[in-house]
Amino acid sequence: MRFYISIFLIFTGGLSHGKEIDFNRDVRPIISDKCFKCHGPDATNQKSEFRIDTLEHATEDLGDYFGVVAGNLKKSETHWRIHSDDPTDIMPPPEAKMKLSPKEIAILDQWIEEGAKYADHWAFVPIPETIPVPELKSDEAKSPIDAFVQQRLAEEGFEPSKETTREKWLRRVTFDLTGLPPTVDELEAFLADQSPKAYEKIVDNLFSRDSYAERMTGEWLNVARYSDTYGFQVDRDRTVWPWRDWVIQSFKDNLPYDDFITWQLAGDLLPNPTRDQILATTFNRLHPQKVEGGSVPEEFRTEYVSDRLHTYGTAFLGLTMECCRCHDHKYDPTTAKDYYQLSAFFSNIDEAGLYSFFTPAVPTPTLWLPDENQSKKLALLEKDIATSENALGTIAESTTETFTTWAKTNPLVEVTQPVASFSFEPKEKSAFANSIKDGEPAKSSNKNTTVEGRIGKGVKLTGDDAITLPVGNFTRDDEFSISLWINTPDVKERAVVFSRSKAWTDAASRGYELLLEEGKLSAALIHFYPGNAMRVRAKEALPPGKWKHVSMTYDGSSKASGLKLYVDGDPIETEVVWDNLTREITGGGSDTIVIGQRMRDNGFKNGLVDEFKVFEHQLSPAEAAGIAGNSKTISPDIGFYRSTIEKEATATKAALTKHRQERSELVKKIPEIMVMQESGSSRQNYLLDRGLYSNRGEPVSPDTPHFLPPIPEDTPKDRLALAQWTVADNNPLTARVTVNRYWQMLFGNGLVSTTEDFGSQGHVPSHPALLDWLARDFTANGWNVQHLLKQMVLSATYRQESEVRSGELVTQDPTNTLLYRFPAPRLSAEMIRDNALAVSGLLADKTGGPSVKPYDIEVSFKPSKIGKGDDLYRRSLYTYWKQTAPAPLMTTLNASKRDVCRVRLEKTDTPLQGLVMLNSPQFVEAARHLATDLVTKHGDDENAIILEAFQRLTTRAPDETEHQILADLLTEQKAHFTSNLPAAKELIAAGNSPAPTEEQVADIAAATTLVTTLMNFDEGITKR
Amino acid sequence: MQNSPCTGFETPFGMSRRSALASLGGGLGSVALSQLMGSAEAAPHAPSFLSAAPKAKRVIYLFQAGGPSHMDLFDHKPKLREEQGKELPDSIRKGQRLTGMSGNQASLPLVGSPFEFAQHGKGGTWMCDQLPYTSKVADEITVVNSMYTEAINHGPGVTFMQSGSQLAGRPSIGSWMSYGLGSMNKNLPSFVVLVTKDKGGQPLVSRLWGSGFLPGKHDGVRFRADKDAVLYLNNPKGLDRKSRRKMLDRLEALHQHQLAKNGDDALETRIAQYEMGFRMQTSIPEVTDLTTESDATFELYGEGARKPGTFAANCLLARRLAEQGVQFIQLYHQGWDHHGGVPGGIKKQCKETDQPSAALITDLKQRGLLEDTLVVWGGEFGRTNYCQGKFNATNFGRDHHPRCFSIWMAGGGVKGGYTHGQTDDYGYNVVDGGVHVHDFHATMLHLLGIDHERLTYQYQGRHFRLTDVHGHVVKDILA
Repeated sequence: MRFYISIFLIFTGGLSHGKEIDFNRDVRPIISDKCFKCHGPDATNQKSEFRIDTLEHATEDLGDYFGVVAGNLKKSETHWRIHSDDPTDIMPPPEAKMKLSPKEIAILDQWIEEGAKYADHWAFVPIPETIPVPELKSDEAKSPIDAFVQQRLAEEGFEPSKETTREKWLRRVTFDLTGLPPTVDELEAFLADQSPKAYEKIVDNLFSRDSYAERMTGEWLNVARYSDTYGFQVDRDRTVWPWRDWVIQSFKDNLPYDDFITWQLAGDLLPNPTRDQILATTFNRLHPQKVEGGSVPEEFRTEYVSDRLHTYGTAFLGLTMECCRCHDHKYDPTTAKDYYQLSAFFSNIDEAGLYSFFTPAVPTPTLWLPDENQSKKLALLEKDIATSENALGTIAESTTETFTTWAKTNPLVEVTQPVASFSFEPKEKSAFANSIKDGEPAKSSNKNTTVEGRIGKGVKLTGDDAITLPVGNFTRDDEFSISLWINTPDVKERAVVFSRSKAWTDAASRGYELLLEEGKLSAALIHFYPGNAMRVRAKEALPPGKWKHVSMTYDGSSKASGLKLYVDGDPIETEVVWDNLTREITGGGSDTIVIGQRMRDNGFKNGLVDEFKVFEHQLSPAEAAGIAGNSKTISPDIGFYRSTIEKEATATKAALTKHRQERSELVKKIPEIMVMQESGSSRQNYLLDRGLYSNRGEPVSPDTPHFLPPIPEDTPKDRLALAQWTVADNNPLTARVTVNRYWQMLFGNGLVSTTEDFGSQGHVPSHPALLDWLARDFTANGWNVQHLLKQMVLSATYRQESEVRSGELVTQDPTNTLLYRFPAPRLSAEMIRDNALAVSGLLADKTGGPSVKPYDIEVSFKPSKIGKGDDLYRRSLYTYWKQTAPAPLMTTLNASKRDVCRVRLEKTDTPLQGLVMLNSPQFVEAARHLATDLVTKHGDDENAIILEAFQRLTTRAPDETEHQILADLLTEQKAHFTSNLPAAKELIAAGNSPAPTEEQVADIAAATTLVTTLMNFDEGITKR
Repeated sequence: MQNSPCTGFETPFGMSRRSALASLGGGLGSVALSQLMGSAEAAPHAPSFLSAAPKAKRVIYLFQAGGPSHMDLFDHKPKLREEQGKELPDSIRKGQRLTGMSGNQASLPLVGSPFEFAQHGKGGTWMCDQLPYTSKVADEITVVNSMYTEAINHGPGVTFMQSGSQLAGRPSIGSWMSYGLGSMNKNLPSFVVLVTKDKGGQPLVSRLWGSGFLPGKHDGVRFRADKDAVLYLNNPKGLDRKSRRKMLDRLEALHQHQLAKNGDDALETRIAQYEMGFRMQTSIPEVTDLTTESDATFELYGEGARKPGTFAANCLLARRLAEQGVQFIQLYHQGWDHHGGVPGGIKKQCKETDQPSAALITDLKQRGLLEDTLVVWGGEFGRTNYCQGKFNATNFGRDHHPRCFSIWMAGGGVKGGYTHGQTDDYGYNVVDGGVHVHDFHATMLHLLGIDHERLTYQYQGRHFRLTDVHGHVVKDILA
């Protein structure tokens, strides 16, 4: 920013030469950077009463002084303080370790003298309806863009550069829009096309290619912090590429950008959302996720929500939300309350803070991605299940009479036997006898002690030591019941009475369980807690210090209505906490019932248990009562009659179970992906003091930042409302941020060079009116990205030469802020690698699908096996991205690490980049492929080889000097390899593809060095 | 656009046009200084974050990943043996959070160290009997028993120690140093990472030595125990050094021609980087080749040093890199995460690390390098004084403990034979001289002659520091 000012000063001869101060351009950058930290918007955390961020505050009567008196320097304390040389008075104070430069002091003085005029921060001001386009003076101008740029250049006494060659433009635009180089044929066709629409035709053609969608997707993956693994430390693989393929498709379809945003933020909340609209919301789940044992789930859930917000803020609003997590923003008007209100939009989903270590479950909420066949089968099975369920209902009605008749002759029946039963009489060899199966006792540590039980002896549990049963691996389609006596010593906040489950958070509680939660019985069947589970919880707490008989019964329906609890033989009132179980509850290990303890969970400390029985059917109320009463016989009820006696009922139930099992088997194979889905209940969110998950402050509800236009009053404040607000016509940020990022994509730098920060500390736009015009034009044309890009690449500004012009003017604008030339940014990592593959003919022609592992994955920090065939030659977009050890070839070439949302990449030259491009198998193999091609085609015609190699790598013919340098190279390398044939053979065998069988081994080897050299040549890696 | 060290300068340090170009969109200082130091150009004036007299020119950080148990190594707590098996008193725990691994245990029984402790050196530094070598160099080191952190799990804990933030995305210490001090050797990276090979345990992640939002050239460069010590260092098979030289000569000729045509100074940088890459092809194999070391040296570091990739070999390699002017040498040794089997686990870890760590100090000293090389030994947190899992006096586990832990520092301007800070009798809370992670970083930068409050980089509108907005130099440990 200062830099910008300095340029400005030089151009205008200084502000004192008559140009009036513009607050946003001249003053805000200074006071934001140097003053706001202690005299800015974060009033609660600063010592001084003086604030300089608004006129009202700055000119307030502070008793014995005024910070600023408009138009009166001498009465303004600020003036004296910034001029002081007394360390106790000077501002900024010495401990701030910041100084104002003499120029900055002069600007502040002039500003006060001119009346201390404030203006709203430029980026928060609405985008004007119309922006007048400056009159076009030059013939060179091709679009309104040029009018803005050339006006500014003229003001500063600059001439634009002349138009670059057709070759260079074609190369630029092909890379920019497809990430790939133009072919020699394409070049020739373009050179031959003298029609006035020749340039436009190229652009339209590029838009029609899959490679365009891939290029745009690559750019978006960096914003979306896409990776194929969960990140953090353990960093397992996750399947999210179907979302990436959706992005490709949406760019292929040129989905309007406002829809692109809306779908990703809230596609699930659109009316009757399509599969794609829901899939788009995976965007919000691409943050790193945690599995490390012992982590506090709420800490990480809070982290996920924050990451969603930070990504949203950076990607769409250009606001740095991070600061406000702990306190009001020091520079921008964003408050901590704004932060938590905004993050609340992203909080209301049924997710866990940790993913499952012991199972491969996809963290909820999820979207199923069945293939066509699976969809059909699933629909059929659901129909079969519904039919059987209905039949069972009909039978139930028709059996009432037959039951009454039957019951008259069968007043008492024997209770159906359990499959395992433990009465916990004193142990034999640290095992409790199973009265049903002699050889299958329950194992227990001696620390669980034998005490007086409800019937005979029972067990007192330590809470850290388990009693492990030999049975209990039920599926969600099985009927089963468990009964036992328990006596809890106190009101447990949380205690595991028993479970079939490897672990709590480490397995997302996979299995089934009976807990005490705040003293209440709570039974659950779980695939992944809480998003795919069912839970019913007693309304009343179990009284402590008393023996109570408890039965948990389940009917195999996967519905909470089929899960019942009995206390002392009576069904109890329960509330349904979750009812969304749709996948298996087995797996994860620990396949049998464990009493009193679970990994990293709260055990049933000092709890007593007795008479533990496991049944392979759903106990009827009469049975539950009978077991509680310890009687061997019961008066049968209708439930008992239907499930055990009535033939038609049992047969229909058997058929139903079979259908359900078939469904379960099918469902297991249907892939899932993490998406957004609003929770049935709405979560209360809080302001978190210092950002700590455990420091809950005042409750907050979803809302947008207070300093931006509000969501319309009659709209419910959910994610969809947020999405619509984001792309609303009166949102001053989204369109500006978007056109700026695409400008950056083409020109290397944004018009606002801090692409990620449109706040007070960000840079002011170099061409404010152009930015606004582009934004307005973009939205007025239906947020059409292709329209936007076309405007830019056809502009004269884009078509300028990139040569650095010598002379004084250039030293005044070393960063080319004024765009007097095309800025010639280096190609991205993806382009550099894809270029090598494309020119050599190795590039695999395939779009979408799972990510692949090319050569460098084998030598990454966490290596894995590389792929075969095409996998080695896919576009870099498809390279497997592991967060904790990303593809080293890509990161060496400055690819985004994609650990957090990044909208701006630093490209710096390092020696390691040369090593990658000169030595890595990916590049050497590509070079020898092209070399083989050239030698096969041109034999020993060196000139032809040089010409074509140069053209393929740079999209132009070499000049004489270049040709000579390369001819020398070819000659000397050919001589070397002719006398070192074994070496030549080794070189041209690089990579996994078959080595060439041609006889001209030395020629191919020499041509390989030629191609390698050109791959490293400036024009091979820079957009000139 | 500029970061605060450069405040007030339009063209800091006589920055070239190239630097100005390269700095576009970044911090000017980010390029300016590194470039200044990297090239031999004279500095017109020192940047404001540098103090007059750095004590250390380089750092060797022997990171012990997993969380070494402070009360089984340095922090002698006889009380734990006296109260073995008793519950951790509530008056000590004070309701502080535990990890989810032992936090729900019904019982938290105290357990004393199975090792014997004695005082060593003139300074009487306490160490356990598993550190026979380190105890012999006790008078060269400061043991800090009062380190504390905020993280209770490895991922956030290691990230905090290495970047000053628990969350991913910030630059690591070595990157800050590379950014602040540039490079002193034209043939080697300024920030080198060595990871002990084939160690299990809690996984490490490559962003620990990443540059975060600093320019990518400040990434740490990992040297692998492999023929390609650096990725793709060697020429492809069939291409010899002579051929490569000729290719690079032709490439340079093309670039010079291009420079003459388009005047883009970025080309100068590119030419220089290719040359440095070429030099690295010999300088890195040279520096990583330990075979030229004497038998006496291998005796000093232990026989393990002969096997590439061991901690011993990496310590020896660290000394060689230090000699060559590499400024930040980051070692990682995993395996300290003893949730179970503390006695056996610590014995094994000490066997791998004790001798080489001590040897490094001795070796640096005999070569006159210790006085300006800061050596740091330590992990991301300590361990609980109570037993995790089943209580068994001879084979027990300890959980993560952030409230206190021990590290040591040697050379580079820190005191020798000194023990800093104190924990309570249970080794649970710091009672005196607490050193927060930010304090540790502030002190480290201070020893390097850097004011931690002034070494900043502007990103997302904020002037970021390694020490966030905290950190105090621990003056007591300065020699």
